Amino acid sequence: MNAAIPPEDEQDETLVETLQLERIEENLFRGPSPANRPGRIFGGQVIGQSLLAAYETVDTRVCHSLHCYFIRPGDPTVPIVFEVDRSRDGGSFTTRRVVAIQRGKQIFNLAASFKDPEEGFFHQAPMPTGPHWSELRDQTEMMREMLKNAPEEARRWLAQKPPIEMRSADARTYFLSGPKEPVAQHWFRCNSPVGDDAHMHQVILAYASDMNLLSTAMRPHGVHWQTPQFQSASLDHAMWFHKPSDFNQWHLYAHDSPSAWDGRGLIRGSIYAEDGTLVASVAQEGLMRMREAKA
Amino acid sequence: MDTQTLVKALNLERLEVNLFRGDTPGEESRERIYGGQVIAQSLLAAYETVEDRVCHSLHCYFIRPGDPNVPIIFDVDRSRDGGSFTTRRVVAIQHGQQIFNLAASFQVAESGFEHQSDMPAAPVWDEVDDDIDVQREALKDAPAEMRAWLDRPQPIEMRTVGGRFDVGAPEKRAPVQQVWFKAKDAIGSDPHMHQVILAYASDMSLLGTSIRPHGVSWRTPGVQTASLDHAMWFHQPTDFNEWHLYHQESPSASGGRGFNLGYIYRASDGALVASCAQEGLMRMRKLKT
Repeated sequence: MNAAIPPEDEQDETLVETLQLERIEENLFRGPSPANRPGRIFGGQVIGQSLLAAYETVDTRVCHSLHCYFIRPGDPTVPIVFEVDRSRDGGSFTTRRVVAIQRGKQIFNLAASFKDPEEGFFHQAPMPTGPHWSELRDQTEMMREMLKNAPEEARRWLAQKPPIEMRSADARTYFLSGPKEPVAQHWFRCNSPVGDDAHMHQVILAYASDMNLLSTAMRPHGVHWQTPQFQSASLDHAMWFHKPSDFNQWHLYAHDSPSAWDGRGLIRGSIYAEDGTLVASVAQEGLMRMREAKA
Repeated sequence: MDTQTLVKALNLERLEVNLFRGDTPGEESRERIYGGQVIAQSLLAAYETVEDRVCHSLHCYFIRPGDPNVPIIFDVDRSRDGGSFTTRRVVAIQHGQQIFNLAASFQVAESGFEHQSDMPAAPVWDEVDDDIDVQREALKDAPAEMRAWLDRPQPIEMRTVGGRFDVGAPEKRAPVQQVWFKAKDAIGSDPHMHQVILAYASDMSLLGTSIRPHGVSWRTPGVQTASLDHAMWFHQPTDFNEWHLYHQESPSASGGRGFNLGYIYRASDGALVASCAQEGLMRMRKLKT
């Protein structure tokens, strides 16, 4: 694993800057791969950049849903090319499909739909009860404390300001074995200013929505990322944006996992603003399996 | 159209390695193609390019209304043939335009961690009236032509707990709906076809869940509804000639769109065999005076 760590002076790049794309042609974009993460590209980054690429081809309409597949692991050492298909510009809806490519191969696809805002029927599921963000500890701080004797490289990586601030209702889940209910609650928000562009708040919410999700499906099975031989990866990701929201404010991300079977877990997420407004829903299936130990 | 007619009608003609053509069954006289048909045919087209792996998820968009009078072309992109997973993307085309897309993933069967949410309580299927009987009763004074339409053969048998909400004057109900359903006649021994017919049926009734709290139905003048997308995760293989409970909830309606989740449980053992998510357009059009 080659964890390329950026020099200190590059660490304060905002997430908005990290996700920016270069337009190569009308429907073709290139995104730099920020090489400040070890291993493979974080899935949420490719979701966010693909949504941005689609937005670059849509005039004023707002994304109300997206569906993605993670096809191959993303390589953080080379840029990603995003190819947009303008599937339809209709009277009420705009549909786009984006394929993300590295080294001539598809690593990811996204389909998304956009429309103008309108008024109409309204109902929503109430926000579940749970601890408030002000009562919870910051996830990165807890990690720093736990890993204070870890190798230099890991500590330097943790020393960076994380792009998303995260506080989990049951943060110790990661590190304590033993089966638990397949439900979880996290409070999160963007750690750098998102600005006035409402689309960018959506893009960054999509980025963050890939975080911590899979671990909810692992809870009943007493495994986590650090369990030897345990293998996990996001397979798909779907998201529905119900209401616009300011992601510099705290949001509650409530998860439940209705199923695990055949090496796959399904997780459902609901994202609420602090006032209880349901702003988005998420669904993701992830691979979760024990690899056979090498003899 | 009975189940066997549906199974035959869904079959595709292979035009090229990755290119297929399908028809809309002639006896289905509709203005637009039923969404579940295009989902089923697109999944079949993807299956034609996959060997020995089983579909575990699919994600679709309905892009344009399908025209029942012309064939549909299905163009399959072989996105990846990996060690454990196969990924496909299908675009359905009519009149040179995309009407629909589907992305799907296929996996070699494996075993591992297992959990599932319990099947919710529901009256047993044999205590619930058949949807067709409920409609027949409601339309007993309607013109003979309308009543005859209810007697046509159906591929899927459906029994909505508490009765279909769109029969009679719609009242405000909770955004939860339970429907018992199964294929009416034998699907046959191909397990893929059970999945395909389940996908076909999963587009039925789901959107209605988000309409229930609003005291309207599809029949209310000015109400406009349409499926926008559809996602489905297949957790376990199942025999869709057996009864299944389709438990549906709608967490949200806003901005002219309703969002619905569906869970499909096998009646015999309560196994969660599939989960669905669908957003639909639901708006009140201004009536012309």
